[in-house]
Amino acid sequence: MSFVELKSVVKRYGQNTVLQDVDLRIEKGEIIAIIGRSGSGKSTLLRCINGLEPVQAGEVWVDGVAVHDPRADLRALRAHVGIVFQSFNLFPHLTVERNITLGPTIVKGMPAAAAATLALAALRKVGLAEKLHAYADELSGGQQQRVAIARSLAMAPNIMLFDEITSALDPELVGEVLLVLEEMARDGMTMLLVTHEMNFARRVANRVVFMNQGKVWEQGPAKEFFAAPKTDELKSFLSSVLH
Amino acid sequence: MIRELSWLDLAYLVLAMRWTIVLTLLALSGGGIVGLLVAACGASRHAGWRYLAKAYVSLVQGIPLLAWLFIFYFGLSIVGYNLPPWIAATIGFSVYAGAFLGEIWRGALISIPRTQWEAALAIGLTYFEQLRHIIIPQAARVAIAPTVGFVVQLIKNTSLAAVIGFVELTREGQLTTSSTFQPFAVYLIVAALYFCLCYPLTRYSRTLERKRRVVR
Repeated sequence: MSFVELKSVVKRYGQNTVLQDVDLRIEKGEIIAIIGRSGSGKSTLLRCINGLEPVQAGEVWVDGVAVHDPRADLRALRAHVGIVFQSFNLFPHLTVERNITLGPTIVKGMPAAAAATLALAALRKVGLAEKLHAYADELSGGQQQRVAIARSLAMAPNIMLFDEITSALDPELVGEVLLVLEEMARDGMTMLLVTHEMNFARRVANRVVFMNQGKVWEQGPAKEFFAAPKTDELKSFLSSVLH
Repeated sequence: MIRELSWLDLAYLVLAMRWTIVLTLLALSGGGIVGLLVAACGASRHAGWRYLAKAYVSLVQGIPLLAWLFIFYFGLSIVGYNLPPWIAATIGFSVYAGAFLGEIWRGALISIPRTQWEAALAIGLTYFEQLRHIIIPQAARVAIAPTVGFVVQLIKNTSLAAVIGFVELTREGQLTTSSTFQPFAVYLIVAALYFCLCYPLTRYSRTLERKRRVVR
C-alpha cells in the first residue's frame, strides 16, 4: 500500500459535490503539486487527507490509518501529518516560540526544555531564529508563513500538506517561503502542495496533478506534464496561467 | 423624631456601602457561573444548546430586574419559601448577571476566527485543549472591557435590592432620610458614594478598551 491512498473519495457540501471519485496514491518522499482552477476541489482534497473534512464515500488511507473511518484516531494522525494554511493562522496571543512548542508539549508530552531546543532548531530551518520571542503581528506575511512551517515541522511530520501557502503573500515575499519549501524537498520530506506557482511546481515537484470539476483530471511527471498536456482542459488552464 | 444630619450618618452610609460591594460580589460569583454555562451553550455546535441559551437570555432580559427580585422574594414566600432578603437578592442578581455576562462571553468566544480552532486542531489539540490554550485566552482579551463595563451597571443596579429590604447603600439612604428629613443632602452623599465605586471601574474599562485596540 502507498503511503497515502485515496480510493473513490466523494466529498459533498449539502447538494454540492466537491470531490467526485478521486483516486490518488502518494509514495514516501514524493513531492506532488496540485493545480487547478479555484473551486476545482484542490484544497478540499488536502483537508480530507488529515481529516479536517470528513468524506461522504470512499477511503482515505494515510500511513496505514483509515482516515475515513469515524473511529480513526485523528489526534495521533495529525501529529504526523503537518498542514500549513494560506492565511498562516499563527496564534496571535502567543510568542513564536510558544506557537511552535505548543504541539510538541501538549500533544506529545515533550518536556518544556526539549521543546524549546526543538523550536529553535525549527526556526533555524526557516531562517528566523532571531524571531523566537516575537509575536505574529510583528512579523511580515512571509515571516509568519515561515513560522507556520516551523510550527508544523516541530511535530516531526512524515508528510506535509501546503494549502496555497504563498497566495496571501505580497509577490516579493513569495520567494523566501518557496526557498524553505525547496530545502524541505531536498531533505526528503513527502510533500503535497496546492499551488499557483507553476514555475515552482515544474522545478520542484516530481509529479503534478491537475484537478478539474472535483476530479483528478490529468497527472504526470512535472516535465512532461507542462510540456505536453493531454487534455483540452489542462491545455486551456495552462495557457491561462502561463500567458 | 427628626434629628440633624451628622457625621455619624455619613459613617453609616459609608459602612452600608460594603453591603453594596458584597451583593455585587455575590451577584458576580453566581452570575459568573451562570454566565459561563450560558456562554458555553450559546457557542455550542449543537443547535439545541444554543436555543436553550438564547431562550434563557431572552427571558431574563425581557423581564425587569425589579420583577425578578419580587419573584424571588415575595413570590417564593407565597409558595412557602421564605428567603432572607440577601439570599433572594443574590439569586435574583445572579439570574440577571448570568444572562448579560453569558451574552458578553458568548460574543467573545464566537469572535475568534474559525481558522484558529482549525490551526489548533491541525496540530492535534483536543477540543478542550483548543479552548484552553487558544480560544479562551484570546476571547478573554475581547471580553474583559465589556465585562468590567457590566460590573459598573451591576453596582448601580444593586440599589434595587433596597425594595426587598436588603440594607445596602440606597436603603441606608432611605433610612437616614426618614429620620433626618434631609433627602437632598443624603441622596447627594449616596450618589457621590456610588460614583466613587463606579468611576474608577469605568476608567479602567476605557483603558482596557484602548489597550485592546493597539495590543495584539
